[in-house]
Amino acid sequence: MDDRFLNELQQAPDPAFESELGARLRRQAPAPLRAAFPWRPAVAVAAVAAVVVSLFAFPSLRVSAQSMLDMFRVRNFAAVKFDPSRLQKLHGQGQNDGLLMLGKTETLQEPGKPLTVSTPDAAGAIAGIDVETPSELPRNLVLQHITVDGAAAGRLTADATKLRALLEALDIRDLDVPQSIDGKTITVRKPAVVVQSFGSDHRHAVLIQAKSPDVELPAGVDLNRLAEIGMRILGVERGQAHQLAQTVDWHTTLLVPVPPNASSFRSIEVNGNHGLLITTQGDFAWEHERTSGPNASGGSSSPTPTQAAGPPRDGALVLWSGNDRVYALMGDLEGVELVQMAESVR
Amino acid sequence: MASEAVIGRRTSWLSPAREADWDALYAEQLPRVYNFFRYRVGPGPVAEDLTSATFEKAWQARHRYRSDLAAFSTWLVTIARNVATDHFRSRRHHVPLDEARDIAGGATPEELAEHRSNVERLGRLLGGLPERERELIALKYGAGMTNRSIAKLTGLGESNVGTILHRTIEALRAGWETPAVEAP
Repeated sequence: MDDRFLNELQQAPDPAFESELGARLRRQAPAPLRAAFPWRPAVAVAAVAAVVVSLFAFPSLRVSAQSMLDMFRVRNFAAVKFDPSRLQKLHGQGQNDGLLMLGKTETLQEPGKPLTVSTPDAAGAIAGIDVETPSELPRNLVLQHITVDGAAAGRLTADATKLRALLEALDIRDLDVPQSIDGKTITVRKPAVVVQSFGSDHRHAVLIQAKSPDVELPAGVDLNRLAEIGMRILGVERGQAHQLAQTVDWHTTLLVPVPPNASSFRSIEVNGNHGLLITTQGDFAWEHERTSGPNASGGSSSPTPTQAAGPPRDGALVLWSGNDRVYALMGDLEGVELVQMAESVR
Repeated sequence: MASEAVIGRRTSWLSPAREADWDALYAEQLPRVYNFFRYRVGPGPVAEDLTSATFEKAWQARHRYRSDLAAFSTWLVTIARNVATDHFRSRRHHVPLDEARDIAGGATPEELAEHRSNVERLGRLLGGLPERERELIALKYGAGMTNRSIAKLTGLGESNVGTILHRTIEALRAGWETPAVEAP
C-alpha cells in the first residue's frame, strides 16, 4: 500500500448532494450579515488608495487638507480611522477644492499631462530617479504600462478666519485656531511620480513611487495643533486626535486616513523600512482610464479602484518608505502577496 | 479629492459578483472538505452531513474570514476540524465504517467489487487509528494539504507531522498486508 492507494479513496461528492447543499446555502438570507458586521467592508482600501493617488497626483494644488498635513519628509506611517461621511459633508458644503478651505492657494508648478513611457529607465530619466521594479509578480501579473506624472509645486497662504468657519460648520468647538497661522505660507513640492501598472486576465496591481514630497513651513507653526485640527476635520475621534497629535512626529510621519470599514490595517516592515498594510474584502474593481476630479487639470494616470468596471475583489494596499522615497502598492491581491511583491522591489 | 469619485463601494459577499466568487469557492472546496470527512469519519451520509454543517457555518461566518491571515481553504478546513470535534464529542463513537456505498462509475463489476472491498478495508484500518493520526491522514489525503499547512493548522512541527504520517502509513501498510480474517 502506498500514497497512491490512500489518494484513491478520495471521491467526488454526489452531484445531487452538491447541488442540494449549494441551493440550501443560497436560500439562507444574507440579512443577518449586515447586522453582524461591525463595519461594512466597502471603501476601506479603495478610499486609502484614493488618498494616496490624490497625494501623488496633486493636480493644480487641489489636494485635500490631510495631504497638506501629510507631506513632510515621509519616513513613517500612522493609520487612523476617520469618518468617510465627513468628506461627503465637506463636499456638500462646497469644499471640494481641498486647500481652498484653509486659505489662498497659488500654483508654482503645474504637473502637466502624465506621460506614458515604455520602460522603467525611460520613466526614471523623466522623473529623475532610478525606477525600482518588483522581481516577484504573483498570479501571472505582467508589467502592462508605465506613466510618469510630472512634478508640481504650490503655496498655501493660511487664513485663520476660513479655518475657524470650517470648524464651526463641522460643529468642532473645542479647538482654537491659533491666530499666528494667519497669513503664513506653506510651500508644497511634489516630485515626479512613476506609476507602473501590472495586470493579468483577472488581477491588477499598481506600484507608485516617488521621492518623498516635502513641505516648507514657516518657523513657529504649531504642527501638533495643526495636525489635531486636520484630524478632527477628517472626523477622527476627539481623544484619539489629541493623543496622536501629541505623540506623532509630524515632520516625518504620513498620516493615512483609514475608513472605519477597513477589514484590517497594521504596521509592517518592508525590507527593514516602516510600512503599512491595509486590507479589505470585495472592494476592488479596476479601470485603466485616467482618474481625475471634475476640477483637476492633472491627475493620476494609474488604474484605480472604481465602481464602474470589473468584478470587485479582495484588495490591499501597502505603503512604505525608504531611501528618501515613498512607495504605494495596491491591487486586488491578498495582502501577503502584495507584501511579498513589495519586498521584491529593487 | 480627485479619486474619490471612483471609490468602489462594494460590500463583499453580497454583490452578485462576489456571490459568483462564493460559487467558485464552493465548487472548488467542496470535494476537499467532503473527502476530509470521508477519511475522518468514514464514507457515507455522515461525511455528507458534516460537510453540510461545515459549509453552513462558513456561510454564516463568511464576514469573519480574513484573507490576510489565511487562505480560504485553510479557514474552511479549520471549521471542518471543529465540526468533526463536535461530532465526536456528541457521538462518542465512530460511525460504522462499512457504509461505503458510492463507487466510481465506469469500471467493470470485478473492479467495482475490488474497489468497494478496498474502501471498506481501508475504512476499517483508519477506524483503528488514534484520533490524532487519523486526523492527520484526513488532512493529508482527504483535504490534500501539505505537511507544512497541516503543521500550521494543528500546531505540530512540520517534521513532527511528517514523522507521524510516515509511521501511520507504515502501520496502515502493515495492516493492509496482513491477510484479512473471514468471519466464521
